[in-house]
Amino acid sequence: MDKFKQNSVFIISLLLTLIFIIWGVFFTENLTKLTNSVYKSSIDYLGWVYLGATLFFVVFSIYLLFSKYGDIRLGRKTDKPDFTTGSWLSMLFGAGMGIGIVYWSVAEPVTHYTAPPYGKAYTVDAANTAMKYTFFHWGLDPWAIYTVIGLALAFFQYNKRLPAAISSAFHPILGDRIYGPIGKTIDILSIFATVFGIATSLGLGAMQVTAGMHAIFRIPNTLVIQLVVIVVATFLFIISINTGLEKGIKHLSNAAIILSVAIMLLILFVGPTLTVIKVFFNTTGLYISDFLHMSLRLNPFGEGKWIASWTLFYWAWWIAWAPFVGMFIARVSKGRTVREFVIGVLIVPTLGTCLWMSVFGGSALELVQKPGNRDLAKNIAENVNLSIFTFFDYLPLSSLLSILGFAVVAIYYITVADTATFVLGMLSEGGTLNPSNKIKMTWGVIQSALAAVLLFAGGLNVLQTASIAAALPFAIIMVVMCFSLLRGLKNEVEVQRGNKRNVQHL
Amino acid sequence: MKLYQVRKGQFVYYNNELHKVYGVKPMYKLSVHLIKLRDLTQHITNAASVERYIPRENDSFIFEHKIYTLKNNRKAEAGDFILINNPAPDTLDHYSLNEIEVVETVDNKGVITSDLNGIRHNEYLLMAPGRAPDSHPIDYQEVANIEVEDLDDKGRLINNPSGELSSKLGDIYKKKDSEFLVEVMVVAIKGQTIFLGGGLELSQEELMDTDKWEFQYNPFDK
Repeated sequence: MDKFKQNSVFIISLLLTLIFIIWGVFFTENLTKLTNSVYKSSIDYLGWVYLGATLFFVVFSIYLLFSKYGDIRLGRKTDKPDFTTGSWLSMLFGAGMGIGIVYWSVAEPVTHYTAPPYGKAYTVDAANTAMKYTFFHWGLDPWAIYTVIGLALAFFQYNKRLPAAISSAFHPILGDRIYGPIGKTIDILSIFATVFGIATSLGLGAMQVTAGMHAIFRIPNTLVIQLVVIVVATFLFIISINTGLEKGIKHLSNAAIILSVAIMLLILFVGPTLTVIKVFFNTTGLYISDFLHMSLRLNPFGEGKWIASWTLFYWAWWIAWAPFVGMFIARVSKGRTVREFVIGVLIVPTLGTCLWMSVFGGSALELVQKPGNRDLAKNIAENVNLSIFTFFDYLPLSSLLSILGFAVVAIYYITVADTATFVLGMLSEGGTLNPSNKIKMTWGVIQSALAAVLLFAGGLNVLQTASIAAALPFAIIMVVMCFSLLRGLKNEVEVQRGNKRNVQHL
Repeated sequence: MKLYQVRKGQFVYYNNELHKVYGVKPMYKLSVHLIKLRDLTQHITNAASVERYIPRENDSFIFEHKIYTLKNNRKAEAGDFILINNPAPDTLDHYSLNEIEVVETVDNKGVITSDLNGIRHNEYLLMAPGRAPDSHPIDYQEVANIEVEDLDDKGRLINNPSGELSSKLGDIYKKKDSEFLVEVMVVAIKGQTIFLGGGLELSQEELMDTDKWEFQYNPFDK
């Protein structure tokens, strides 16, 4: 019984996930049906929750940037950052966007161009709207979600010396009850969201790796190959957990970031450079001026399908992904001040993603807008997996770009899977920094299995729906977390003021 | 010709004394950056003039003016220093070979240091304060021509191997064995004699006696 109590978070979250997997394997149709109905009701009834919460996170992060809490250092007053600012920023960028940014950077603008949220498709206006919404989905909002959760985790871990678990962020509200059933429920929900967020990413990653192999080596682009990719990758990172190759993983993730930047610069120079620059400026303007409209757009008297399959999916995915990224960001941000943290996690990566999207989206839109390329646009929108490789085919140095792109996706896949097992291990053992290898391996197998099941049950759509459903409770947890964080910061300011002089001479 | 590759973290002898490599900058003539463990001063040299030493159990050495013996016979406890001699960092950990850290909490699988690294019990050697009688001193490569007195850092620290080493100008101390509140600042240091504000004058050792004086803070520390 004692043992169960100790490991209750791990056991319960494992059981929940296992039930889901078994369901997916044996009652595939039933699962697809259920996820679809969840999907529909999430559009009809709960879309506003995601929109409201996410906008709130943006406002809250910007408030923190200018608040009096900006000078609080994460960690002891004397702590220095572990990483240089440059490598810190690139790690944040890699962790936050990873596979997704490669997957969607061409597909999303082109798909919006062929099916815009409003207005006529295949027009100049549609192209501008497409870029605007791409900026919106990859801009301030996801990074604000990461800022909130990363800051809360880092603050309670480094300043209050609490375990590295999501429940620790509720200490100002719950007190020592974070170690009791309420805290454990929070941790279980966060694990559940994380497993789905990661499975979605791994699913996308497997589709992307398969597409890359199809483009380069002409290997068939089928579900079976996708499943093989998942199995092989699982073997690889389980070996790395057991043999202490973790250091190698670190080098790999650095390599992925360097390669990504190289690809971006290469496209910037061989592609339509001037268009890209124009797109970047123009879309930034559109994004800033229409930010509120896009943030609250729900289309009450019409059909909300577009919003559900794009905006809501992204918000849910970012939230599901947030415990994982937040944990990672917190881990690398010791010694930064709150202000530095918000600038580094909210502002700089937003500029980075916008630049990335301008380069990929801008060049892709320039390409599909050329007369006679309408079919190409349609082709890209219909074969999202292949989109980036299709796009590379139309650029100079296409085979080099394809190979680089494939390498980046493959590396991101492995590093994300590996880091995820570590984070899940930490979360499920009450926030210890020494998760055991057995638990890490269990999660490694589980997350791969879940990704496989979701792909098997219907690919992208099921992936999207599953993460929307799993993220909902966690969205509400995160809103409460903001208030808890605020309370903690307030208390810290008082403590720090008190430290300066606590003896009164009478 | 020595074809030895120096790596960050290694313990090496340089000028007969024990140092740790804290950085290697290839391409430079003086590429090896060292820190002397005895007093944490920085030095720079090249790979040819250092000799590697792998620290093992029961070695004793001076780190930051205090003597420690490396032990492997018990688990670390909160507040202990550890030498990470066998690092296997997890993906999100940030430590490397031969880093010296302070233990904050201990659990079954490992320790968590004050830098919040999770370190398993097989990754480190405990640095037990003091020089164990049967230990193997590794401060010097060749002990023969070193005067005995020098071996233990001018002898002074034998008395107080684990206490804080020294006060510095501006430190504020509170007198503990006094009825009314006495707070003083270190205004001058002359050898072993410390001059405190208000005309107090006492020896370094006396000020370090934690029963009598308690360090408060230093207003110049930021």
